[in-house]
Amino acid sequence: MSARGEASNYEYVTARAKSRRAALFDADDYRKLVRMGPGEIARFMEESEYEAEMNALGARYSGVDLIEYALNRNLAKHFNDLLRFAEGKLYDYIARYLRKFDAWNVKTVIRGLYAGSERQEIEDDLIRAGELPERTVDRLLEADSIEAVVELLDGTIFGDSLAAAYEDYEETGVLVPLENAVDRAYYRLLLADVPAEPDRATRLYVEFLEAEIDFRNMRNALRLARSGADIDPAEYYIPGGPLFSAGELQALVNNPDQLVEAIRSSTYGDDLDKALNDLDAAGSLIEFELALERALLEYSSQLSNRYPLSVCPVLAYILAKEREVDNIRAIARGKEAGLSADEIEEELVVQ
Amino acid sequence: MAKDVKPTRKNLMAIEDRIDLSTRGHSTLEKKRDGLIMEFMDILDQAQDVRSDLDDAYTDAQRNINMARAMDGDVAVRGAAAALKEHPEITTRSKNIMGVVVPEIESSKVKKSLDQRGYGVVGTSARIDEAAEAYEELLEQVILAAEVETAMKKMLEEIETTKRRVNALEFKLLPELHDAQEFIEQKLEEQEREEIFRMKKIKAKKEAEEAEEALVEDDEEVKYETVTADD
Repeated sequence: MSARGEASNYEYVTARAKSRRAALFDADDYRKLVRMGPGEIARFMEESEYEAEMNALGARYSGVDLIEYALNRNLAKHFNDLLRFAEGKLYDYIARYLRKFDAWNVKTVIRGLYAGSERQEIEDDLIRAGELPERTVDRLLEADSIEAVVELLDGTIFGDSLAAAYEDYEETGVLVPLENAVDRAYYRLLLADVPAEPDRATRLYVEFLEAEIDFRNMRNALRLARSGADIDPAEYYIPGGPLFSAGELQALVNNPDQLVEAIRSSTYGDDLDKALNDLDAAGSLIEFELALERALLEYSSQLSNRYPLSVCPVLAYILAKEREVDNIRAIARGKEAGLSADEIEEELVVQ
Repeated sequence: MAKDVKPTRKNLMAIEDRIDLSTRGHSTLEKKRDGLIMEFMDILDQAQDVRSDLDDAYTDAQRNINMARAMDGDVAVRGAAAALKEHPEITTRSKNIMGVVVPEIESSKVKKSLDQRGYGVVGTSARIDEAAEAYEELLEQVILAAEVETAMKKMLEEIETTKRRVNALEFKLLPELHDAQEFIEQKLEEQEREEIFRMKKIKAKKEAEEAEEALVEDDEEVKYETVTADD
């Protein structure tokens, strides 16, 4: 971890990221995994990159839970390594994306306190891959109320948003305002303080983040259009994406057909055309969400190849690692639930 | 039972009244039983549909939650579930079907819109929405099944009770009452015959006594007349 004033060490971090990316599971590994049972998958993982986590957690968990917790811990280890390696502006670029795990941890602690869960249960569900220091996360775990969590986070990127949403939470008694505040704080800072005239690689990185925001707005708008819930777009709209303004989104949410047409005619239209056709035909958003994830992964991969000495290869590695964790978990949980190999393969996103 | 009854005319009249009442009760209960069976058949059809819908809803909910746990992770699904403390509310009222009190269950706050489920919209996925929606649908089906199947169970119990009552009247009480009636009638007839016989006997005895008295009187008269002749 390094101060922002220092020079960035792109060469070192991208080399480490590329080597780690090369070690990720490939399509052959997935083909083998989907034909294994949960026990065999655990065994396969014990002989792979995940060996240390599987052994460390083996005494506490078993079955697919062991696989899932080992995946999360391994993910956290790799992303913490990236933050440790990176210096200067590069650190900032990586951290701003990885803060999504801080958002995850804050939401997990708040949900745990809300539901009256034990400290250990909450701690087990954390993914310590973000930027918040260990000590802060431990203090959050020791908090005895949501109000105490909000106070503890004062001064962090979530502080102001949470403090503002706390009143709403007290009025309504549901966590929606707090959860949305945490997620929106994360997305708001994703594009904060980017250079006014960035170099080509940084500009593409920013474009990637904008695409991520656009995709998030798209999927939320489609979810709301289907749910029929009457929610003020200000509560969930994430500014920064070039595709929609808050006003446009509000108008489109009330008209799902127009919303789909707007996405189809946007710059993402070509990438998402098939998913939009499936959405029209089947009516399920899940395929569409998978298509968005595929498009993001593809996009990050292209950036990585085009600008090897920039934040792009690191970002591509982060996305690929997240996808690997999602894929292995999907296979293990799918096998546990008795899904067929074909059904599971449909859900995987493999590059 | 018949032998325990005192064969009196009063008891006979009481038994005849009971037979009359039991026969009318039997006929009414038979009608009730048939009516209940017809109502039960309607509820049974409904219950079969509800059970089939419940099975489908359960399969769908399980599939959705398995997919959500697979794709978003168990931790994310549990987290989203923990974001809501409020439970659906159920109110029960009762309605009467042919004297059987069955519950009417009304549920509220089962189906929720996206903003009422507790979890934030921004950080969750459509899979969690679909799992939540499928479980809301399942819960509604469970409540409906509880209503219909409780009604069905209560109707069955009532049919069983009514059937037992009809059978008890038809095969136990009424035959016993008829036996008792027959027993008393026979006894009374026997008593009547004995009485007639006794009366006849008394009458014969009385006649015999009267005849004897008359004979004695005749003898005395003859004796008296003889004495007078001697005089």
